[in-house]
Amino acid sequence: MGPNGAGKTTTINAMVGLAKITSGSIRIFGNDNQTQWREARRLIGVAPQEYNFDRYLSIRDILIFQAGYYGLRGPAVSRRADDLLERFGLASKARVDYMKLSGGMKRRLTLARAMMHEPRLLILDEPTAGVDVELRLELWDWLRRLNAEGLTIFLTTHYLEEAEELCRTIAIVRAGKIVTQKPTSELIADGATLQNVFLELTRA
Amino acid sequence: MTSAINLVGFWTLVKREIIRSIKIINQVIWPPIITTLLYVLVFGYGLGSKIPTIQGVSYAQFLIPGLIMLQVIDSSYGECSSSIFQARFMNSIQELLIAPMSAYEIVFGYVVGSLARALLIAGLITGLGMVLVKTLPQHWGLYFLVLCLVSILFSSLGIIFGLIAEKFDHLAALTTFVITPLTFVGGVFTSATMLPPLLRNLGLFNPIFYTIDAFRRSYTGESYLAPGFSVGIIAVLAALALGGALAMTASGYKLRT
Repeated sequence: MGPNGAGKTTTINAMVGLAKITSGSIRIFGNDNQTQWREARRLIGVAPQEYNFDRYLSIRDILIFQAGYYGLRGPAVSRRADDLLERFGLASKARVDYMKLSGGMKRRLTLARAMMHEPRLLILDEPTAGVDVELRLELWDWLRRLNAEGLTIFLTTHYLEEAEELCRTIAIVRAGKIVTQKPTSELIADGATLQNVFLELTRA
Repeated sequence: MTSAINLVGFWTLVKREIIRSIKIINQVIWPPIITTLLYVLVFGYGLGSKIPTIQGVSYAQFLIPGLIMLQVIDSSYGECSSSIFQARFMNSIQELLIAPMSAYEIVFGYVVGSLARALLIAGLITGLGMVLVKTLPQHWGLYFLVLCLVSILFSSLGIIFGLIAEKFDHLAALTTFVITPLTFVGGVFTSATMLPPLLRNLGLFNPIFYTIDAFRRSYTGESYLAPGFSVGIIAVLAALALGGALAMTASGYKLRT
């Protein structure tokens, strides 16, 4: 968590290779994302805040091509795409263009695409920004299920209740630095609210 | 342990580029064919009937290889420049950048996808030439060699300008002010031997002249320059452009912050 411009998206971009790292290093399950970038990237699934689907592909092909870029192909990939479409309630839209999907469906498609190559780490950049309450609750439900299946989830958010509801550990960043990183239960212990902690640390 | 080369990723990108071409077939495949048909009808049949043979063939037959080069150059540049620019504009290029794909796999994916489109267009125009003016290449090896090198050269330039451009206007500027004029004066419609000595010598500074001269030899068996020399020039230019595209992609120029 952090105020606008604190470096949340930059952190994600540095992790996935969209930003150049000028100092330090990032390890994804032990793989340095600069020197072992292929291994590191194979372990990450990313659901960006903005929709960035390929406009020339159908929904199902978006998933299959995603797997292809990760070096996967064959009948197992088709089965995985069909499973994810079914699981995320998109099976009936498999052949359509993504622009014909509702906002909620597009959000679910970003999750399905990120899951296509079976990553160990799912990175979500403000996954519920600008969505209505109903969709937010639906997305929370999806994220809880994925996490319960053993997937590590790293997300950025502006919503305090989202962090409190979903995260076991919260880091607060300010001007590119982590000012605190603690288990949620510790951060809001002794009657403190997350809002107070957040404001205290980000206003200082 | 993961493999050192992501061949599946490379072929996926090639396939994606081919699908893109098919999805916009009315923009990218039929226009060059119809334009060529019109050139053959108007210039080849119309004006050509007043012109004696050139390089031992009728003017309409002489036109065909030049027209193939014209469309291959235009198509190769257009395919890569617009695909890359559009992917940057829509952010869909991030799908490639976060995937375990190297700059080589990305650049070669775009270039081979573009080459596939160029070969399809060249094949259709070659068929048109066979049906309309009864001409076919005599030297298929030279035909494919020049086609591939020219497509690689202009696809690579397309990648470079697709990365540099900030708006679609920038992509069109190179086509309008450089590629199209150089192509038209590069020998599509005329033989170097038809030009006065000054223009003929100036033409040697036009890289497109070498592409058309070498390619036409695959049809007529005659050329102004030795084909090995022209092919060498095209190969060097293609290698430089490809190297530039690779270096820019590897450095993350306008791709990574």
